[in-house]
Amino acid sequence: MTAYVARRVLLLPLVAFGVTLLIFALLQFLSPAERAALFVTDPRQLQHIDAIIRKYGLDQPIYVQYWTWVKQLARGDLGWSQVARMRTTQAIGSFFPATLELTIYMIVPIILIGLWLGTTAAVNKDRFVDHFSRFFAISLRGLPSFVWGLIILMIFYGRLNWFPPGRLSLEANLFVHSGEFKVYTHLMTVDALLNGQFWIFLDALRHMAGPILTLVLVEMALLVRITRSSMLEVLRQDYVRTARAKGLDEPVVIGKHARRNALIPVITLSSLLFVGLLGGVVLAETIFNFPGIGKWGATAAVQLDIPGVAGFGMFVAFLTVLGNLAADILYAAVDPRIRLQ
Amino acid sequence: MNLKRQLLRLLVFTLAIALVGIPGSAQGQQPIKNPDTLIIQIFGDWDSLDPAWQYDTSSAEVVNWHLYESLIFFRGGRTDLYDPMLATEVPSIANGGISKDGRTYTFKIRQGVKFHDGSVMTPEDVKYSLMRFALMDRDGGPSWILLAPILGFEIQTTRDDKGNFIPSTWDRLNQQIQVKGNTVSVTLKRPYGPFLNIMAQWSMVVSKKFVVQNGGWNGAKATAAKYNNPETNEKTELFTKGGGTGPFRLESWDRANRIVTLVRNDNYWRAPAKLKRVVLQSVDEFGPRRLALQNGDADEIEIGGRVNQPAVTGIPGVRIVDDLAQLLNSPALFMNFNINPEGNPDIGSGRLDGNGIPPNFFSDIHVRRAMAYLFDRDRFIQEAFRGKGRLANGPIPYGMLGYNPKGKWYEVSRDKAIAEFREAFGGQVWERGFKFTVLFNTGNLNRQTGSQMLKEAVESLNPKFKVDTRGVTWSSYLGQLTANKLSMFFIGWSADYADPDNFTIPFMHSTGTFSSHQGYKNPEVDKLIEQAAQETDNAKRQAMYFRLQEIAYTDIPTIYIVYPVSLTVMRTWVKGWYNNPIYPSVHGYFYVMYKG
Repeated sequence: MTAYVARRVLLLPLVAFGVTLLIFALLQFLSPAERAALFVTDPRQLQHIDAIIRKYGLDQPIYVQYWTWVKQLARGDLGWSQVARMRTTQAIGSFFPATLELTIYMIVPIILIGLWLGTTAAVNKDRFVDHFSRFFAISLRGLPSFVWGLIILMIFYGRLNWFPPGRLSLEANLFVHSGEFKVYTHLMTVDALLNGQFWIFLDALRHMAGPILTLVLVEMALLVRITRSSMLEVLRQDYVRTARAKGLDEPVVIGKHARRNALIPVITLSSLLFVGLLGGVVLAETIFNFPGIGKWGATAAVQLDIPGVAGFGMFVAFLTVLGNLAADILYAAVDPRIRLQ
Repeated sequence: MNLKRQLLRLLVFTLAIALVGIPGSAQGQQPIKNPDTLIIQIFGDWDSLDPAWQYDTSSAEVVNWHLYESLIFFRGGRTDLYDPMLATEVPSIANGGISKDGRTYTFKIRQGVKFHDGSVMTPEDVKYSLMRFALMDRDGGPSWILLAPILGFEIQTTRDDKGNFIPSTWDRLNQQIQVKGNTVSVTLKRPYGPFLNIMAQWSMVVSKKFVVQNGGWNGAKATAAKYNNPETNEKTELFTKGGGTGPFRLESWDRANRIVTLVRNDNYWRAPAKLKRVVLQSVDEFGPRRLALQNGDADEIEIGGRVNQPAVTGIPGVRIVDDLAQLLNSPALFMNFNINPEGNPDIGSGRLDGNGIPPNFFSDIHVRRAMAYLFDRDRFIQEAFRGKGRLANGPIPYGMLGYNPKGKWYEVSRDKAIAEFREAFGGQVWERGFKFTVLFNTGNLNRQTGSQMLKEAVESLNPKFKVDTRGVTWSSYLGQLTANKLSMFFIGWSADYADPDNFTIPFMHSTGTFSSHQGYKNPEVDKLIEQAAQETDNAKRQAMYFRLQEIAYTDIPTIYIVYPVSLTVMRTWVKGWYNNPIYPSVHGYFYVMYKG
């Protein structure tokens, strides 16, 4: 097991190398002037475009640019992200905790409600609960998340003024920047509690509610569907029939014999969901003006902020490898037949 | 974002408003939220708060006259009248502030003004600030605005062709910017009428002591190269710090949450501002900005295009101020005289065979005239600007010196367009037809609308005429433009300073930003522009600019479309607001604003 984990972790630099090489290789398809667009945002700067290309070495062969970047990386410097107006490492350090916090608050209800609803639907196949859950899942996923986002924003901010966009209110933000507030984890709710500022905790929660609600509604649907079909498959297995024939209580049959086996695809999905949420939150982050890493990564990609995109790509690759690793370990935990070599 | 998606968003937003309803009038009388804090939500981002680096409207809105101040300032909403600011009088020939030869401007520096760090402003600081602004000279930055008039318009940079700093630039600037007693004088290479206008906007005074303390340039020649053309915005000392004299200090720039907070400077040299704080928040989406305005969480918002105007109309407690003049000529439709055919699919076969256009297609005056007769500018203004804007007739915006209200322009005429096309290329254009593609950068709905209108108009004339339109990213658009590959393109210009020179050069001079990429060159035009820039007699200048307008009409390298007017949306409790077209934004001068 240890060797397996070690091997997976050792794979990380290779994955990172592959991702960044791919990003730089894709640049080959763009002309130097196109790559300079990050620095030329106003027609008034057009006259200087040749100087800008020269300054940032944008006309150099791509391997030279990559080598320069790698040398910089060797010094622990991921470069300047013009989109974030920060160094790339600083940008990851600042945006990731916000998204992580959002994801944690999101993934717990998604998994709990998703599993419960999926199981219930499978057990009550073709009954009202099942139809309801399917209708629920289809209608929620039927609309893109930005539509849900806007509707939730309109109702819960526009009408009720419960869940405002942004990360903190004006007063809370002033307090956080006043020097009286110590930053420990960059997770706002956790830091608020550690500082003993319960009102900031509530304020941060209030601001996260909109994006959380949006993504829970949309992402949960998929989990409900997968759990349901996986459960249905397992419920048809002989050992479930045997368990029932042995006279076991239905909750034991469902909870211990069936659901545990149905969890395998669900774990895969959940681990992907965790990483996928980083991308999936982009729209929610945009609509609710929440300063997360997904929005930064997407903007950096559109604006050709190469240090930003490369840093973001590496970071996401890193998370994906870790997510898969966690899934593998969980497989072993739920299914002893799976042996990690 | 493409048009469909934008429209879908708008539709959803409108539906959602319909569903939940706009809150009743009770909310219109809601008590003033945050009574001593002005909150503005914009959709841009700030590049840098260093006055020598920033060249974007969002940064300028924070820097200009709020954190930092210039020697003289614009009087109210006028762009041609000035009041003293950090100088005690506006230089003129009458008061001896401008030398008789029109080359030397002397500013008497105000005494007792304190910077935000508590140090006292001196004439040395003023000289240092001007030199720092000119010598920082980052690629793509604003330094040329001072370099050109002081050192001569042939010099727009501090570096040689290889990108190395030219040390003698320091000597020349040091020679031409002089401190004598309590005055600072600036001597120009040649007389340049717009110089006062430049100083009213581009002479922001920074504290030398503060900059040096933060590791910045000490003013010496030996170290000038080190601080020239910094690699990134973070390499400048005032990137996220404020060392000015303005009515507000920088409290914080929260780059993660994209919030800039200014707090009142209680040691201001005039009476302190009425507002305690000004908070600028960057919010990408229109939806939350609009709701923040409705809920009173924002006092002013940017609506980002007139397509969103209906969504902010009729909200109780909110007013829309429309028809705000702008120093803007955008978009104009340029025609490329010599299209680069290399790997350019947008001109089809590259020949006049019905499947493409030759690279010199637009060098034929008949083609250009035909396009001018075809493009329905009124309809464009109606569709893209909801009817708001004035028809353009040349490079110089309405209301500015040199704008000719009687300048002629082409009426919309299908028959005349056909007649011109029949004459183009000896009749071959009409006979064989043509095909080319007009590009626009996605997300720019005005350009997309314009391209579509052009396509419809051209294709309606002759079944052999074909125009395709294609949306590309801004980077692609820029790449094609600078490679001279665009056949026809929409782009526009906003003023660096309120003078016709700043418009005629990019639009019409053979070395200008746009004309150089469309291959337009007319020696008479170049000469007129150069002469007009040096002329100090306004009547003579006007006559030259009128002549330029005539040439813009007869040569027709560019179809001038609209001088757009702007609008701003604010809570009715915002008081003291006024606009000046030269301001970087329409959110007003915060010093005189309050809520009540």
